[in-house]
Amino acid sequence: MTETAVRTETAIGVRGLRVRYGGFEAVRGVDLEVRRGEVFALLGTNGAGKTTTLEVMEGFRSRTAGEVSVLGLDPGRERHLLRQRMGIQLQEGGFVDELTVGETLELWGRLSPREDRVGRLLDRFDLAGRRDVRVSALSGGEKRRLDLATAVWGSPELVVLDEPTTGLDPAARRRTWDAIQELQDGGRTVVLTTHYLEEAEALADRVAIMHEGRVAVAGSLTEILASRPSSFSATLPPGVTPPPGMTGPEVLVHTTDLQRDLTAFLGWAAERGVTLTDLRAAPASLADIYLSIRSESAEEA
Amino acid sequence: MDRVLALTATELRLIFRNKTVLTSTLAIPLGLGVFMALTGFGSDSGASVVAMQLAMVLGLGIYVAATQTLVARRQSLVLKRLRTSGISDAGLLTATIAPVAVLALAQMVLFVVIDLAIGVPMPSSPFALVLAAVGGLALVVTAALATSVVTPTPERSQITTLPLFFVMIGAAVLLAFLPLDGMLSVLNLVPGAPLGSLANVAYGGSAFSLMQVVSLVVWPLAFGLLAHRNFRWDARV
Repeated sequence: MTETAVRTETAIGVRGLRVRYGGFEAVRGVDLEVRRGEVFALLGTNGAGKTTTLEVMEGFRSRTAGEVSVLGLDPGRERHLLRQRMGIQLQEGGFVDELTVGETLELWGRLSPREDRVGRLLDRFDLAGRRDVRVSALSGGEKRRLDLATAVWGSPELVVLDEPTTGLDPAARRRTWDAIQELQDGGRTVVLTTHYLEEAEALADRVAIMHEGRVAVAGSLTEILASRPSSFSATLPPGVTPPPGMTGPEVLVHTTDLQRDLTAFLGWAAERGVTLTDLRAAPASLADIYLSIRSESAEEA
Repeated sequence: MDRVLALTATELRLIFRNKTVLTSTLAIPLGLGVFMALTGFGSDSGASVVAMQLAMVLGLGIYVAATQTLVARRQSLVLKRLRTSGISDAGLLTATIAPVAVLALAQMVLFVVIDLAIGVPMPSSPFALVLAAVGGLALVVTAALATSVVTPTPERSQITTLPLFFVMIGAAVLLAFLPLDGMLSVLNLVPGAPLGSLANVAYGGSAFSLMQVVSLVVWPLAFGLLAHRNFRWDARV
């Protein structure tokens, strides 16, 4: 089977998911599709509903309404089958402080339905030198690496990572990215949540941005970025009147046709002998989209 | 089963690594039990000594300790994490509680030896004591699961376990002395009371009553149902 063919199969399908806690609806009609073999990033502000959505997919939280299928199973009713095929990294904690790193992984190995070697994971996540150190003495970054080691124990078909690089230094973050890339190279499906937009841009085949319990935008990065306007900016010399429709002296233009509008602007400057400073042109970034969703929502409120 | 044993062994190892837990789980119930055997606890028959030993081991050694362990494991998200492994939910709870239960049973065996050595009289109906131990075990394990539902932090468990612990101890001691006949046998319905009344039966001080069995079955069922419906695996609501 080719890689393209593999990625057309659905690993996770979510339709009309709603989750209510008492009077508060944390997830308000989420639709998502994660394809086999891809890295899918779920982005959003704190309280956007990312972790709740993940917990429903993992079978740890019941849904108020909607349909959820993970690897062809209903996580609510078939969690016992699902956990044999899924590795999960929690957002925080969950280790026994009094156990050493080696004991933690050995215990995990005895509890896991999948086979792996403690030594391999200690080496892979740079924890070999910390094998006999108690978890309570580990740094935050080391705990996240131990966390990731348990999630990928036995190379599960689906790995769910909840903010895998939060609190990591740049080098450790890079190693985590490499580990996620390795999982994808091995044909595994990875779903991750993150606050770091550059992480999603570096790793994800497709992303969904959640806001206030809903998916505001979803698709491949190319699709999402193409759907939003690019921009160019420049500073005009003092006393120069900007072209019609623009304000100066610092010109900022958002456009869905960057080439046409930038060419026209540069032509206008060339005809008048205007020297532009700080000329910049850029496609929309994930950060722009993320911030615009937040500001649109604030304006609606 | 291998997974339950693996986690049980780890939990047992953790008890011996934590001096505070070791003291509350092992040293205090054991010390109090030996003290009662030495003093006779106000009776010559042995019923009150055995009732107090049972109540101490079950109450302190299992009920309080298991509640504290469950809440601590939930608070530190250990239960949540372990649910992502291959162990079943029932296996996870069993393995979390089993070490304190095993230590409590070991203490009961130790009390038999100590009582014999000190000269506490032998029971004429040891079966009644076995029934008290088994029923009491079911009571305190389910009560620990139910109490963990209303206990937000491990520290708070020192408060939330107090009411049932004192009711159990008080009822067990009182009913070890009182011969329960007629309408008084209704007192067996107080949780933990059969520990005392069955000790009394074991030493021939009172007759066996159906109320004792009813109490030892109904309370675990009620606590078990409460825990089944409301148990929380995650500190996050």
